[in-house]
Amino acid sequence: MIETRRRTKLIQALFPSIVSGVLLGVIGAIIAGVVVTHFASPDNLDAPVVAAYTGWVLFFFIGIGAFNGVWDWGFARQEPTPAEELQLAGKDQGLWRYFRYTTDHKVVGMQYLVTVLLFFLLGSIGAFMLRLEQSSPGAIFFNPATYNTIVGMHGILMIAASILMVSGPFGNFVLPIMIGARDMAFPRLNALSYWLIFAIIPIFFSTLALGGFPTGWTGYAPLSVQELTPGMDAYCFTLIIFAISTTVAALNIVTTVLVLRTKGMTWGRLPVFVWGVVLSVVLGLTAFPSFLISQVMVLTDRVFQTSFFIAANGGSNWLYEHLFWFMGHPEVYVIALPAMAVAVEVSAVFSRKTVFGHRMLLGSLITICILSVLVWGHHLYTSGSATSLDGPYMLDTELISIPTGFFFLALIGTLWRGKIWITVPLLFVGGMLINFVIGGITGIYLADLPTDEILHGGMFVTAHFHFTLVGSMVFGFFAGFYFWFPKMLGRRLNPMLGTLHFWLFEVGFLGTFLALFYAGLQGEPRWSANVAPEFATANLIASLFAILIAASVFILVYNVVISVRSGEVAAANEWGGKTLEWTVPTPVPLENFEHLPEIKSTPYDYGVSLPPVEGAAGVGLEPALHTQPETLHSQPES
Amino acid sequence: MSTALEEMHNIAPHIRVGRARAGVLMLILSDSLSVVAILAAGGYLSALNTENQYRLAADHAPTFLPGLLVSLGLLLSGLTYYWWEQRVRKSTDAKGSGQPIIFVISLLLMLAALIGQSWVGATLGYAAPFHAYASLILLLTWFSVVHLLLAVIVGILLWGRIVRGRLAGHGYIVEVTGYWWYYTVIASVLMWLFSVLIR
Repeated sequence: MIETRRRTKLIQALFPSIVSGVLLGVIGAIIAGVVVTHFASPDNLDAPVVAAYTGWVLFFFIGIGAFNGVWDWGFARQEPTPAEELQLAGKDQGLWRYFRYTTDHKVVGMQYLVTVLLFFLLGSIGAFMLRLEQSSPGAIFFNPATYNTIVGMHGILMIAASILMVSGPFGNFVLPIMIGARDMAFPRLNALSYWLIFAIIPIFFSTLALGGFPTGWTGYAPLSVQELTPGMDAYCFTLIIFAISTTVAALNIVTTVLVLRTKGMTWGRLPVFVWGVVLSVVLGLTAFPSFLISQVMVLTDRVFQTSFFIAANGGSNWLYEHLFWFMGHPEVYVIALPAMAVAVEVSAVFSRKTVFGHRMLLGSLITICILSVLVWGHHLYTSGSATSLDGPYMLDTELISIPTGFFFLALIGTLWRGKIWITVPLLFVGGMLINFVIGGITGIYLADLPTDEILHGGMFVTAHFHFTLVGSMVFGFFAGFYFWFPKMLGRRLNPMLGTLHFWLFEVGFLGTFLALFYAGLQGEPRWSANVAPEFATANLIASLFAILIAASVFILVYNVVISVRSGEVAAANEWGGKTLEWTVPTPVPLENFEHLPEIKSTPYDYGVSLPPVEGAAGVGLEPALHTQPETLHSQPES
Repeated sequence: MSTALEEMHNIAPHIRVGRARAGVLMLILSDSLSVVAILAAGGYLSALNTENQYRLAADHAPTFLPGLLVSLGLLLSGLTYYWWEQRVRKSTDAKGSGQPIIFVISLLLMLAALIGQSWVGATLGYAAPFHAYASLILLLTWFSVVHLLLAVIVGILLWGRIVRGRLAGHGYIVEVTGYWWYYTVIASVLMWLFSVLIR
């Protein structure tokens, strides 16, 4: 009897779950691949591969139970009961809930966090391989084709991770609590958005077995269409599913903020972080469809012999460049806006001051959001396409520096004369400020047509976008990571190790990419597997400094592992923050709030001084502060 | 179990309605931008006419009559859905489903349009490798098929709710499904008009 019950419990745990999903997905991939191989022409290698990918995704989702809710929506005899909803939200399922189609926003946030960190780790390994190869002239480890595939995989992994890094983990875990909601607006879609990302991981890495892709992260046509190995299909299919996932996540986040804000949470009282994430996903919702279509077109060119990008048949490579960069440039701001918002959030908490120029800051973020969809043409300056719009594109691009300047003003104004409490999150904000200035100013040279004519296609560009995306935005992510880690995992990260992580990362980063700026100014081209002798010194310096970045990654991993295993238990309000996530217990209960709060002021009123308490988590001047309910900007609903 | 936990998925009716509206409208926004991307791509390739290879003499326009019939079917489907939606609004019966037969007609018309559009796609008659014009027409046709398929799936699920008597108190579902239904009709007719008019 007990044995039967145990077996039933095991079957219930496994079906549906990641186990049944993978099992069914593999079967689906094999069946689809075999069937299409039978019908397709023998020289069409792409058709069975794309069919196998489609079979994998479809059957994986059947196996993991994603369609159960859809079926029940239409054909169940009654609406799901609260108990069924809680079961789906992972109640009492322990760690196994992270491996099921769980709808709780906190579970999804954690799933995103682990996935993003894994992407960063793998992308960093790729980066380190590139720096090793470029540490001295001539081929050392890789042939050019392998080098190109590593460049492409590193690029796309890092871009994907950067797009997800703030809106995924913190947008899911923290944002609903910040606005006083019990869950996201569409919990099932929330799980869908994450599991779509999971489903593309094996597809993406299958490129290694299928010949790789030589195009780099941009996947430029017609090279992507002419490429004979099916490794390119993995790239296209990955990006199509990625675009669908981000669209689903975006509409869920926007709807959540539109309809689930708690009483009194007006738009003016909305934390800056929420604004940043909403603007970012709205931008993604607008920009990603053209990108999705560009990849659909590449796939149809490869599989069905259409000619969207083949000039000999009336297609055009410029079409790809327009469709791609209509997403590609706003995507920088999809990454930037939430990271910038994190920086503001962290600065307000650790300077114990209200956000300086709150409305000006929001205005600047909105302006950046609008301008960013008007600038994609600057990526086509040197492509040979018509030049009549180069002037307006140059103007639009340079205009973005104005609202970005206001963002800097707001950030520095917030820190100015504040009671600065130097913690690891604030160190990362400091690093972000320095790197963003360098990345931003060098961007102005690239936005300018005359200087871009010289610098385009060189290492200067590589260094510039690494300063913008890594030095600025990834630093913003780490500010958020150290800031919200105690809330998300209930443990404190070791502040000394965190500080070491920061300094190794910052010094290593500056050394690596300032050296590459120099190489770029000397004329070193990108996309060259072998370093020419005249650029050897700069590249050697860059590679040596990259060792510091690699060391910082090890420190981070070590810190996370020891903190999760045996770190100090975090307080509910680790930093004395005033946004709503700090008012709920740690670990956060499934329902988030016992009573939905009512908001009566902005979340940055730090006028009242709080008494210090035990349990300092920072590295510097002021101890951590526990929640003082009367000083928070919320009051429980009576 | 605490009351808060029990009620965590118990959302107030007006929020439920707002949520459904916002979600579907944003899905429409995103999807309509992908339609715009295809139409813009078509216009761009047509204007560039790279190496005068955009359209071969043999690349005929899609046959007018089948496309027109599909579009008329879609318009009728949209109109019958609207009629049904009005009935549901005025309905006082306990099931809250108005006159379901009208919805079934609308769904059948959508299904017929799906079959018709698939037939149009399968019989376009271009020869591979397809030049840019033929590529565009193929993409428009099959993209439209995907839209119609989605609408049919949504329609079947809605029909399931009608059969199970689960529309009572959920009139907003009829309304927001209508958004997607009308959008599908408009997008498909636009894509058809574009494929007829583009040179």
